[in-house]
Amino acid sequence: MRALRVLFIRLAELFRKGPREHDLTAEMESHLQMHIEDNLRAGMNRVEARREALIKFGGIEQTKEIYRERRGLPLLESLLQDLRFAFRILLKNHGFTAVAVMIMALGIGANTAMFSVVNAVLLRPLPYREPGRLTIVWGKDDRGNPGNVGYATYVDWRTQSKSFEELALYRSWSPVLQTNEPEQLSGLRVTNNFFRTLGVHPQFGRDFHQEEDIPSASHVVILSHNLWQRRFNSDPSAIGKAITLNATAYLVVGVLPADFQSLFFMDPHGGPVDIWGVLGYDASLPWACRTCQHLVAIGRLRQGVPFTGANAEMDTISSALWKAYPKEYSASGVILTPLREHLVGPVSTTLYTLLGAVSFVLLIACANLANLLLARATRREREMAVRSALGGARVRIVRQLLVENCLLAALGAAAGLLLAYWTPQLLRVLGAGELPRLGEVRVDSHVLLFTIGVALLTGILSGLAPALRLSKSNLNDALKEGSRGTSMGSGQRVRGLLVVSEIALSLTLLVGAGLLLRSLSQVLGVSPGFDSNHVLTMRISVLGQRYSDNEVLRRFFANALASIRAFPGVQSAAVTSQVPLGGNVDRYGFHVEGKIHANPELDESAERFCVSPGYLDAMRIRLLRGRDISERDTATTQQAILINETAARSMWPGEDPIGKRVKLGGLDQPWWTVAGVVADIHHSGLDVAPTMQFYVPHAQWPFPDSDMTFTIRTSGPPSSLSSAAQQAIHLLDPTQPLSRVMPLDDYVGLSVQGRRFSSILLAGFAAIALLLSALGIYGVTAFSVAQRTREIGIRMALGAEEKEVFSLLLRQSVVLVAFGIALGVATSAALTRFLASMLFDVRPTDPATFVSVVVLLVGVAALACWIPARRAMRVDPLAALRYE
Amino acid sequence: MGDKADVWQGTLALMVLKTLEALGPLHGYGIARRIEQTSGDVLAVNYGTLYPALLKLEQEGYISAEWGTSDNNRKAKYYKLTRAGRKQLEKEARDWEQTTEILARFLAPGKESA
Repeated sequence: MRALRVLFIRLAELFRKGPREHDLTAEMESHLQMHIEDNLRAGMNRVEARREALIKFGGIEQTKEIYRERRGLPLLESLLQDLRFAFRILLKNHGFTAVAVMIMALGIGANTAMFSVVNAVLLRPLPYREPGRLTIVWGKDDRGNPGNVGYATYVDWRTQSKSFEELALYRSWSPVLQTNEPEQLSGLRVTNNFFRTLGVHPQFGRDFHQEEDIPSASHVVILSHNLWQRRFNSDPSAIGKAITLNATAYLVVGVLPADFQSLFFMDPHGGPVDIWGVLGYDASLPWACRTCQHLVAIGRLRQGVPFTGANAEMDTISSALWKAYPKEYSASGVILTPLREHLVGPVSTTLYTLLGAVSFVLLIACANLANLLLARATRREREMAVRSALGGARVRIVRQLLVENCLLAALGAAAGLLLAYWTPQLLRVLGAGELPRLGEVRVDSHVLLFTIGVALLTGILSGLAPALRLSKSNLNDALKEGSRGTSMGSGQRVRGLLVVSEIALSLTLLVGAGLLLRSLSQVLGVSPGFDSNHVLTMRISVLGQRYSDNEVLRRFFANALASIRAFPGVQSAAVTSQVPLGGNVDRYGFHVEGKIHANPELDESAERFCVSPGYLDAMRIRLLRGRDISERDTATTQQAILINETAARSMWPGEDPIGKRVKLGGLDQPWWTVAGVVADIHHSGLDVAPTMQFYVPHAQWPFPDSDMTFTIRTSGPPSSLSSAAQQAIHLLDPTQPLSRVMPLDDYVGLSVQGRRFSSILLAGFAAIALLLSALGIYGVTAFSVAQRTREIGIRMALGAEEKEVFSLLLRQSVVLVAFGIALGVATSAALTRFLASMLFDVRPTDPATFVSVVVLLVGVAALACWIPARRAMRVDPLAALRYE
Repeated sequence: MGDKADVWQGTLALMVLKTLEALGPLHGYGIARRIEQTSGDVLAVNYGTLYPALLKLEQEGYISAEWGTSDNNRKAKYYKLTRAGRKQLEKEARDWEQTTEILARFLAPGKESA
């Protein structure tokens, strides 16, 4: 307490030095006078009295100095002095300052921006209560991969396990809000304890009740704050009222807080989840079976239960279930994925790689600044020498220089923070779509601290070498007027080293960026198996009482297609249950006649596409064998199915699959006869090998899909047709909402967005690095050329060939660049394997990439040396000599 | 003189406080003279060293300072004990007595064992 008071008083003294100094002098004066008067009274003469008083007092100036030190905070005062001085120096050399601040701004800004992303996505805790205890619980499939769970299994898990405080389920749901303007929503169906599991309470209204989570009473929903604002004008009376979803009345029971973020979704292109309905399952429902694995389980571990303990318990339960139902599980065991890993794990490698890459940029910026400072240091040698000669302590001089650098770094950091402030906008432009939690990216205290730390580190790192060098320079040499040749040996060596490391670091970044860009171009070069050009897509969910009749539903699509096909500019049109690369997974067990496992769960599965005739045509998917499905395949004819090449090859190797029979999604299903074989298409991603796929006619599928997407091949640009196509549907039935009206090309674009994002970022970092190292090489060459102007003059005057002098000047730079490249190639070869998981069809040591990067770097370096050398050559020998 | 100076620094604050308690508000010169008189020649140290000590006590809030006029009509800075200073004086005096008592017992072990 007292210490704090003293600190404040001493701090305050900084601002009233003048009057206090006066005060001190007056007090001492009065002390001496009183002493002298006393001495006079004691009988001394004037001189004697004064002498005695002075002796008794001790050194007046020393006392004052001790007093001053005690009064204020001397360390802080001299630091302020340094700072003031640094400001003046930087202002005076505004050209140098501008360049240095720009370098720092690039380095620090890129780092701050990248860190703010990492901070938001990876470091900040998930926005749920004690998120460390939340985990996704997967069933294990026969390949050991995590898989969804069926309701019956979940019930057993929940009743038998003791590790979980709560165990909840969720599944995808895309209801259509039919109050006022119909709108396709992104939603989830969840068990009643879902929000309790997360530790989230509705802001208004209430949570789901347990008695609502049964089939007969499940028509209650909770809204997101955003949906409530957008569609219900933030009206509190909306709670407790009924809304119409999918032609059914639902009761709104609650609204979530505005800051709630739903990080769970099953449709990657569906946008944020806006509505939650209660799951409402019980074990009697046909889709609640053990093999109906369409649900995701999320659990909250009990306090103190470790993940491994919970995993072991669940494995025991699972293996007992496997024994009890040998035909309903393909394997035993569960996989616990901590929620954080589930949500952000997939992107963490990419983000940490990028953060590592951007720290290289910072190192290069540091090296560059150090180089600039070293060059300037030679010009300031005299100043430092004078200060030393006048008694400036070495520590004080070093500190002065470090303060200058930290000030530079601080200015750079301020500029960098500005950059970071715009990161969210930048990310939007770059399209970082797949990154979760991007909405949270902003400059918070962590980011600020990081920036300050980075700035300080930068200031000290880049300033240390020049500062140490300057402070120990030889006084005598430096003070001599016009002295020019103080031994620059060590300085040049340090600068050379810096340039070598800059080149090596940039080369590493360039190689990384090159590998990613090559991967991107390889991925984009993959033929998706269909032609995405000139195709308009449009999703529709057909709902309502009258469409519950399959024939009415099928007729609706037939009519819609007929009217769309009638438009000029439409080449062909069809509907499909899912768009390739659309991000949905719809897999069915593929049970081939004569090849069914004893446990049918072990049979392969395949992706299902429920399509109208003309789909192959509209998508330009090649028919390899047999026939396409047509209008003649109806509900009453033999059930026909198209399979892809992979399915044909893996299920009927060496056989003709045409005419073979297969059951889909269970042995209780009817037989389907293979009518044709088509080319594979990429559905999970261009960089993922196609799996087994099949196409069934919408007219024959027993439960015809009502959520379909039109694919319309146009002769002109697809968007030109979008309003006409929507109009056509509207004319048929204005109550059906259309969504995602977009070209098929966009789906392809979205599927590579994450890859494009990391490639562009890394390429951006590499470009900055290249620019900075070019500056570095330029600086070193220019400097050494300037130092040797006289030498050049003499050589030229003595008749040296221009070519010889030129090569003499470049020799040093060539050596540096060669060293840098060698070091960089070695570093890259060692580091690029960390990129391996982000590469596609390119080896981490891809020679083509390495060679082209080296060529690029050599080119840039050559230019950066050549310009200053060229300039030196134009110097008139006479002028160069006279100048000295 | 090193040892003596250390003791001087450590006890100076206490002496200043005690002086101000005994004599009331007083200027630096008066305090210095008083301490010198009380201690005799034993603590012959420069008067100047008093001033940083006074400043420290003032910063800590144990004494307050104010310009005033001396008996001889001379302007001088007067120091005065504050309430906190009075408490501090009591505490330090107690501590000091305790220390000297313990030391006294230590330095005369003969009496103890007898």
